[in-house]
Amino acid sequence: MKALIIKRLLILIPMLLVVSLMVSLLMSLAPGDPVSQFEMMPDVDAEYLQRLRQEFGLDQPWYMQYFHWLGQVLPFSYHPDAASFWQRFDFRPNFGFSYYYRTEVWDLLVQRMPATILLSLTSLVLAWVIAIPLGVLAAIYKDSIFDRISQMLAYAALSIPEFFLALLALVFAAKTGWFPIGGFTSVEHDFLSPWGRFLDIAHHLLLPTIVLGIGGVAGVMRIMRANFLDNIRSEYVVTARAKGLAEGAVMFRHVFRNAINPLITAAGFAFSSILSGALLVEIVMNYPGIGQLVYNALLQQDAFVVQASVLMSVIMLMIGNLLADIALAMNDPRIRYD
Amino acid sequence: MIRVSVMTSSMFKELLRRPAGLTVFIVLVLFYLVAIFADFLSPYSVTDQDLQHTFHPPTALLWKDGGLHVQRYEMQSRDLSGYTPVVGEGSPLRFFAPGYEYHLLGLVPMSHHLITVDGPDRLYLLGSDQVGRDIYSRLLHGTRISLSIGLIGIAVSMCIGFIVGGLAGYFGGAFDNIAMRLTEFLMAIPGLYLLLALRGAFAESFTPTQMFFLIVFILSFIGWSGTARIIRGMTLSLRNRQFVMAAEVMGQSSWKILWKHVLPNVFSYLIVAATISIPGYILGEAALSFLGLGIQDPSVSWGLMLSQAQNPQVFMEGYWWFLVPGLAIFVTVISFNVLGDVLRDIIDPKQKFLRS
Amino acid sequence: MIIMSMSVNILRLWVLAALLTMATVLSACGPGQPPERARPQGPPPADADVSRMPPGQQGGVFFGTLGGMPRTLNPLQAGEDASSAMALSRLLEGLTRFDSAREEVVPGLAKSWDVGADQKTFTFHLRRGVQWSDGHPFTADDVVFTFQAIYDDRYPNRQKSELSVNGKPFEVEKIDDYTVRFRTADIYAPFLLYVGTSIMPRHKLIQAFDDGSLMRAWSVRDAQFTPEKIVSTGPLILERFRPAERIVYAANPHYYRIDSAGQRLPYIDRFIERIVNGQQASTLAFAYGQSDYENVEVRNVGWVKRNAERHGFTVYDRGPSQSTNFIWFNQNPGSNARGEPYVEPYKLAWFKDSRFRQAISYGIDREGIVQGVLLGRGLPLWGPVSPANRSWYNPDVQRYPFDPQRARALLREAGFTWDAAGKLHDRDGHAVAFSLSTNEDNEVRQAIGLVFIENMKQLGIDVRLQPLDFNTFVGKVMSSFDYEAGLLGLTGSWDPQGGWSVYHSAGRLHMWSPGQKTPQTPWEARIDELMQLQLRTLDVEARRRYVFEVQDILAREQPLIYTVTVNSYEGLQNRWRNLDPPQMGTLVWNYDEMWAETLLLR
Repeated sequence: MKALIIKRLLILIPMLLVVSLMVSLLMSLAPGDPVSQFEMMPDVDAEYLQRLRQEFGLDQPWYMQYFHWLGQVLPFSYHPDAASFWQRFDFRPNFGFSYYYRTEVWDLLVQRMPATILLSLTSLVLAWVIAIPLGVLAAIYKDSIFDRISQMLAYAALSIPEFFLALLALVFAAKTGWFPIGGFTSVEHDFLSPWGRFLDIAHHLLLPTIVLGIGGVAGVMRIMRANFLDNIRSEYVVTARAKGLAEGAVMFRHVFRNAINPLITAAGFAFSSILSGALLVEIVMNYPGIGQLVYNALLQQDAFVVQASVLMSVIMLMIGNLLADIALAMNDPRIRYD
Repeated sequence: MIRVSVMTSSMFKELLRRPAGLTVFIVLVLFYLVAIFADFLSPYSVTDQDLQHTFHPPTALLWKDGGLHVQRYEMQSRDLSGYTPVVGEGSPLRFFAPGYEYHLLGLVPMSHHLITVDGPDRLYLLGSDQVGRDIYSRLLHGTRISLSIGLIGIAVSMCIGFIVGGLAGYFGGAFDNIAMRLTEFLMAIPGLYLLLALRGAFAESFTPTQMFFLIVFILSFIGWSGTARIIRGMTLSLRNRQFVMAAEVMGQSSWKILWKHVLPNVFSYLIVAATISIPGYILGEAALSFLGLGIQDPSVSWGLMLSQAQNPQVFMEGYWWFLVPGLAIFVTVISFNVLGDVLRDIIDPKQKFLRS
Repeated sequence: MIIMSMSVNILRLWVLAALLTMATVLSACGPGQPPERARPQGPPPADADVSRMPPGQQGGVFFGTLGGMPRTLNPLQAGEDASSAMALSRLLEGLTRFDSAREEVVPGLAKSWDVGADQKTFTFHLRRGVQWSDGHPFTADDVVFTFQAIYDDRYPNRQKSELSVNGKPFEVEKIDDYTVRFRTADIYAPFLLYVGTSIMPRHKLIQAFDDGSLMRAWSVRDAQFTPEKIVSTGPLILERFRPAERIVYAANPHYYRIDSAGQRLPYIDRFIERIVNGQQASTLAFAYGQSDYENVEVRNVGWVKRNAERHGFTVYDRGPSQSTNFIWFNQNPGSNARGEPYVEPYKLAWFKDSRFRQAISYGIDREGIVQGVLLGRGLPLWGPVSPANRSWYNPDVQRYPFDPQRARALLREAGFTWDAAGKLHDRDGHAVAFSLSTNEDNEVRQAIGLVFIENMKQLGIDVRLQPLDFNTFVGKVMSSFDYEAGLLGLTGSWDPQGGWSVYHSAGRLHMWSPGQKTPQTPWEARIDELMQLQLRTLDVEARRRYVFEVQDILAREQPLIYTVTVNSYEGLQNRWRNLDPPQMGTLVWNYDEMWAETLLLR
């Protein structure tokens, strides 16, 4: 197990290098640069634009910019002149500087991450809490009315474009007035009691969670149903029944535990999309998360913000897969990694 | 190749035998017919504007003088619900009458349309947009993009996927290693980010046709890796089978072996994998166009129509405009999803290789 | 059995979830208002500015929306985008202010000024007793420091060019703690307007200035974690900054304006601005009574108005805005690095012919655009200055009403002919066709482009619309010149000097052929001359004459074919008093004087 973890983490390094190089190349291919947005302002003079480009190093070729960035990227920085010993270490990862916000990219990510992670988690929980029991029931009562209807709904849920659903949710929120129109907190949030703040956030999360979670419900339910069916038919179930075990014990202790295996892998995958999965929903529903930040950064060619969020996602994917493998090994003693 | 055609035709027969399969097959055939005959079916061309009738609600039809007429409307205010019907007035509808000129299948010049209006009134079955273009006509033409982008995209990515996956599985070694690292790397970057970054990198000016192919290219570039991995796995298991070994001993070239022995054995899987991944392409194009980065005015696609419906005015009042392209995408995607599942059940009932 | 109990559990979970949902829904129906803010009422400054508006009552919160996330509050950078500039303008004031309602420059932090006989020396007398929001006195040192920072080479900034004459900075001299003298290198017409740039607090920023980190001061991070460090002379102080969500401002207890009853302005306790990404969410929020103020886009006016009674607001028709939209042809005669001309020579010949441009102008159905695209909520535009700008708009320039006959006559005169199919050809038989580039992110502009294509079809001209990514568009128009015709909008500024880079042949935004060394045509030379003349006089009447002639020439020659201006609509909750609506600019420009009749929004 240790070897597996070390090996995976080692693979991560070349992976991140290649990905970041490619993102740099792609960003440099796009026409214009972060300063282009000022070109159409009548009161900006050419000398100023020139100065800005120099300041940002945009007058250098892309690979030079990339190496310059690479030189900056450190998991933490050391300030020898700081007053106290502990202040010399700054443990904020350094992902470079944002052209647009003129601040550390890491600060921007930290500002946006809580909203996105919270949304992803709630929609994951929603998906699992609803989908697993539904999938199990559909498998047990295969071909019943319940099974058919849930299958049909699953198809429908998988086929609705996320952004369309988000638009519908927005219309619903506006027309009924039951839900806030976008955002993560309401304007009075800072003046509410702690319980009031909790309710306020829950209220804002509800619609985006449903929009983002519906696809997940359908997906997880279908996987669960298929796995459960596979296992119900297998030999050990027959054996267990022959041994006279209670039906509930057979289902739960044997079938359910085995059927959940592939879902662990799926969970690892879901973990990887925690940061990037909500992009469209965030944009349409005006939800202040990472997706919105990255989308705007792409439009404004704020290269290092894009770079940082792609790298974060790659890291999340690798960690997600690793965690899934570990969890799999723990749930199923037959699986071993050497 | 004979085996391939036999296999596909038996698969096809099996498909039609199942009710779900038959239903979606019919739906999809209808959609493709609409795409092909979009010009014939639509009363107006996609660029035909009428500034006097912007944001028009769907027009009513009425029966007058022994024929169908389109209701006449009078403008009360420039707001969405500002049109009121003029009782008993209208213009007659003509069937199979000449209208704007077009080329059937891009070849045969024609000017006949299923329905046209003879008179000053305009027929807006689904309302009009901000420059008075007919949403119904635009919807029909949008079918072409959504239905072809999946097929072309899938063809491209299946080819790349088969070649890379097949070679990797067959040769193994360094090539296999490199190819698989490459696919892992493509799969590691979040798809939508990659899509947006690629689109940004190629933001130069394009004609609508070039833009279409650019989108196909970008989507296939992202999409081939999954196929390659599946094909590699299958080739790997075929490689040790006797008929492949025999062919090797007989000195056949690797290309020939891939073509003659591997392809026929994985072909049905390829078809199913293709069908399952078509919705991804349709949704990808819709998302890109929705974000304003795909197909652009005056061309039309469903995603673009949805993005134009994002203005609150449209979705607060012109819901018909807003719902229709969304529903169209929904129906198409659900059809391909069902088709894919049915085909998979036929080919791979134990879901050994293909999972949802 | 276990399955059964599992499904019972699920049922319980569902009920619980439903209850929770209900609870949250209910909690949203009665939102809490921010607590009232006690304000220390020290004596107002000796030189306090007294508002002309009748006295009102203190209290309440103004809920606004900001259409984008401010990227910084750094005074040297905030001018780069509208959201940051807006956020900073609530905090920092200048020596002079622009009174939107009267369209004149009025005293700000300076109580008065004298103009020297040479018209190049200005002596400002600062208000005595004005304090920064942290209680530190405001003096001439702050003014000198501000201009020192702006002119410092280490800190490139956008203000510098406006605050220089012929590239020479103003000389700024402290006479005593409350007197500052400015000298300009030459007579500079917009001096009083531009000198009103935000004055920065020396006591807070001098350290950053000295150690070279001024550009990183007052970043979004500072605003988020240490808002108290960002001090103000404006009506508001920064209370809380939640990136991408909202900015909470509170009344500045040290603000230097008072009302006639001696109460300190502003009346409001707080100003909360919701940060939204794009217009649609903010319009929806306003239409459903969740904010006090909204700039309503023309297409949304209809349905928003219908909610007015229910949610207690009014949508005001504010008349034409300062936005302009124009079409122009690439008249750049040069060639690219490969030696190919930017524009095909035969096409360049059309574009350079003023009759061709006039014909195109006659061929545009501006009224149709106003009626169809803008739903009647706009005006045809004939020149670079919108009628909104009362002070500088020349109403008598040549107009080009929709007249295809006239257009055809002009084209015929210029040697164009039509073939049997009705397609236009030039003297040498080239079919007349061109592509029209525009940026793809502006819907109204694209709609104008679509109408233009149809209009040109009537004249037998084939136009291909080419929507481009903004940066690509900028690259083509400003540096590679690889385009034929463009469609763009610029928002005019009040002072005519703001149009210098468009009008002057050496200007960066002289769209049809920017950055000329010497003017290409006599009329461009005349415009250059007039722009120089208007800049070198403080006599407003004389300036107006020069500027009117510039507008005349532009209208006659049509290098920029102006299309329409969009009307501006602003919605405001009915609870607000002391409105002082200006002709131009926002309705709530004097929010420091506005007070609320009812303190609750909903």
